[in-house]
Amino acid sequence: MTITPTTTDDDLLRQMRTGRAEAFAALYRRHQGPVYRFALLRCGSGDTAADIVQECFMGLLGGRFAFDPLRGTLQHFLFGVARILILRHEAARRREAPLPEPAEDEDEAAEPVCEAGGPLSRLLADEAAEEVRRALARLAPHYRDAVILYELHDLSYLEIATVCQVDIGTVRSRLARGRAALAKHLRAHAGAA
Amino acid sequence: MEPDYLSDPELDARLAALRGASSRLDTPRCVEKELMQAFAARFPPKLPWYRRMNVPEWGAAGVCAAVTALVLASLLAPPLPYTGFASHAPLVRLENGGAFVALDSFERIAQEPDPQLVETELPRTMLATLGLPVAPEQAGEAVRAEMLVAADGELLALRLSAID
Repeated sequence: MTITPTTTDDDLLRQMRTGRAEAFAALYRRHQGPVYRFALLRCGSGDTAADIVQECFMGLLGGRFAFDPLRGTLQHFLFGVARILILRHEAARRREAPLPEPAEDEDEAAEPVCEAGGPLSRLLADEAAEEVRRALARLAPHYRDAVILYELHDLSYLEIATVCQVDIGTVRSRLARGRAALAKHLRAHAGAA
Repeated sequence: MEPDYLSDPELDARLAALRGASSRLDTPRCVEKELMQAFAARFPPKLPWYRRMNVPEWGAAGVCAAVTALVLASLLAPPLPYTGFASHAPLVRLENGGAFVALDSFERIAQEPDPQLVETELPRTMLATLGLPVAPEQAGEAVRAEMLVAADGELLALRLSAID
C-alpha cells in the first residue's frame, strides 16, 4: 500500500504495527514539528524538547502510550503525552534543584525557562518573536500550556481541555490570565527599553 | 475596567510573529535516525524462508522429502509385466520335448561344489505346479525326471524328459 500525504494517521499506525518502517517515518515527519515546537516553547530547552519528542514516538512505537482514535487526533494525543513528559521532567528537576525563593506573583514561573544561547534564541532572529518567547517563558507552566496550544497550534478550548486534562472553564480562565500576564510582561519590557 | 486580553490586537500581532518564527523549527535529525534504529530493532527485516531454517531443520526436511519421493515413486511406477509366476517361481526352459526347471538361481547351481543327480518319476499333475502344460488324458501318468540335489539335500533343479 502506497503512503501518500493523504494517508490517515490510523492507516499509518496500522501499517507501523505490522512492521512497515515507511509508515513510522511518515508519522514521525508529519507530527514531529508541532510536538517539538510545543515542547521547545513549553520547556525552553532544545535538548529537552528533542528528548521529549523521541520519548513520545518511542512510546507510540512500543505501545507504552495507548492511542485511542475515538478520543481525539494523534496530534493532540502527542501534545498530551509531551505535556506529561515535560511535567515529569520538571518534577525531577525540581527535586534535584535547591529550594527557590518564594515567587512574588503566582502567575509567573518560579524561574524563567530559557536556554541561554540555545537553539530557540539563535533561531528566533526576529526580535519581536524573541521578546514574546522570553515573556512566554516567564509564565507559569499551566498558563504556558494553554497559550502555546491556543495561540501557536490553533487548538480549541475543548481540545486544550482534553490535552491538559482539565475542564473547559479552566482552559478559558488560564488562557485569559496567561494572555494578560504575557501582555503585562511585554509592556514592562517595552517600558524598560 | 480590566482590558479584554482575549481581543488584544497588539498581543495577537506579537504572537503571530512568534508563530511565524518558530514554524521553521524542527526536531534535530539525529532523533529520527535513533527512532528508525529503534524501529528496526523492534521489527527486524524478515528473512526469506530458506534462510530461516537451520542445519538440523534442513536435514529433517531432506529426509522427509526423500521419503515422500520414494513413496510417490513406488505409487506412480508402472506395474511389472505379468510373467505368470511369482518372483521365486522356478525358471523353466523347454527343450526337445523335455524341460529343464531351475528351482534355484543359476549362480547357486553353478557354485554348488558337489551336486548329485538323482533319477525319479514324478506324477504329471506336478508339472502344472511348475507351469508346464499337462494334457488331461495323461494327467494320471508319471514322467521321468532327473533331480539335481545339493550336498545338503536341497533340490536345485529338475530335468524332465518327454513331457509331451
